[in-house]
Amino acid sequence: MIDLIIALIKVVGIWSFTLGVAAVMTWVERRGAALIQDRPGPNRAGLFGILQPVCDGIKLFTKENIVPEKADKVLFNLGPIMFAIPAFSAFAVIPFGDRIIIGGKEILLQISNIDIGFLYIVALGSLAVYGVIIGGWGSNNKYSILGGLRSTAQLISYEVPWGLALLGVVLVYGTFNLREIALAQQGTFLGILPNWGVFHQPLGFILFMVAAYAEANRVPFDLPEAESEIVSGYHTEYGSMKLGVYLFGEYVNITTLSALTVTFYFGSWHLPYINMASFLGDGTIIYGIASFLIFCLKVSFFLWLFVWVRWTVPRFRYDQVMKLGWKSLIPLALFNLFITTLFIQIKYYIGG
Amino acid sequence: MAKPVVEKKYSFLDSIYLFEILKGMVLTMRHFMFNFFASFRPGPHTIPTTWQYPEDRREISPIFRGEHMLMLDEQGRELCVGCGMCAKICPAKCITVEMAKVKEGEESKYAGKTHCKNFNIDLLRCIFCGFCEETCPKSAIELGQGYELSRFTKEECQLGKERLLKNYHWAKKNNKLKPKKVEAEQPKDKKE
Repeated sequence: MIDLIIALIKVVGIWSFTLGVAAVMTWVERRGAALIQDRPGPNRAGLFGILQPVCDGIKLFTKENIVPEKADKVLFNLGPIMFAIPAFSAFAVIPFGDRIIIGGKEILLQISNIDIGFLYIVALGSLAVYGVIIGGWGSNNKYSILGGLRSTAQLISYEVPWGLALLGVVLVYGTFNLREIALAQQGTFLGILPNWGVFHQPLGFILFMVAAYAEANRVPFDLPEAESEIVSGYHTEYGSMKLGVYLFGEYVNITTLSALTVTFYFGSWHLPYINMASFLGDGTIIYGIASFLIFCLKVSFFLWLFVWVRWTVPRFRYDQVMKLGWKSLIPLALFNLFITTLFIQIKYYIGG
Repeated sequence: MAKPVVEKKYSFLDSIYLFEILKGMVLTMRHFMFNFFASFRPGPHTIPTTWQYPEDRREISPIFRGEHMLMLDEQGRELCVGCGMCAKICPAKCITVEMAKVKEGEESKYAGKTHCKNFNIDLLRCIFCGFCEETCPKSAIELGQGYELSRFTKEECQLGKERLLKNYHWAKKNNKLKPKKVEAEQPKDKKE
């Protein structure tokens, strides 16, 4: 019973956390874009415009819910749901902190500590494409279906280097369990560097980041929604909260990908050179909160990186995206995998 | 003649994108940091290219042609004699003037022997060309600095005499009257 309550608290907590982050991100995106482009951006609602997401939410909720006459009603309504569910559920296996021990009971700061967390993430990543293609097809609109098709091709192409880059990390740490991967990043590597995935897998990290931007449909790979080419792509026909779910889902996706980057490559909740567990005491509440805050700090940097890159880089042409995906990223990912296995084998024979 | 297409040669560093992207990111970050700290500075208009409208207004040229006003002279007398020249020259035909003789005992209110009983400007028709101002023999009408001309009803767009005088008083109070055309007349005096 108590396990169920703890699990429920964690689920509700992390669900509202991701929603909150997504809401704040809409504001950060607009404000960041504005400041990069020498304008102030939304700065009226609340202090520095921080209440802008609330206003947007009220606006989207109170708007009329329009379903196009010729649209496939079932698929049209299913689209946003199919898009949002994988985005939210991918967060279930990501550890967002170490652990808290209360009265001899161990509470992991992770919704479910499953052994195949990695496979679960990759599977849900592939599932995200359904929301886009179903929305595009259900709208019965040329631009929407074009956006959906582009998204399918792009996501399938970039799923491969994304997964292969992550396999490198799995090879280094020898586990599919995300918590164990996070735990293994404690300490130092080669004496001077923090023992983070990015130093074990520099090439893998770059490949993962590039593929992650494509997975999240973000600039420079925002071909599915490319405003200047196909109006708004798969969500052209959507309005009111259905559009809101799509937009929110995108930011939740970004949050999940940032959290994954931190978990796999940037030492999750570990500070470099400092062993917090021995410093604050393993399992204390302060340690749990501190590890969560460090994780949030790292995630927020990667969230900002998504915004920063979006307003720096122009969109790729469609053939360039495909060329980059198939001719550059996949061979490099295979090469990275080969080098990683080679080093592991060498280490195995030398170190025994 | 069309420009010949030159295939750009990319070096190895260019072709792997990353360094070019990093250079671009440094550039955008410079802009971001500048504007980020500028937005914390007190006072309006800290981000140089944007005016935060209601608090922060643009400087308007002294010869701007905005909302009309009927002028008074130094003694506070109405300059308009109601001749109707402005109404005649107006290309949009938005001015209606009604002349009347100055009644006895009211000479202190009006500068001329006649005055305008009614003076109406239809803002919906006005094209702000400034011909009325140019043609007026007494310099009694001027286009002022007011530019917030949106109104809720059609009736409010009819500027009556009261409103036009109110505009003058507002401009005088806020020191927004046009500089007098003394400088322009000086060369004429020299010739004579």
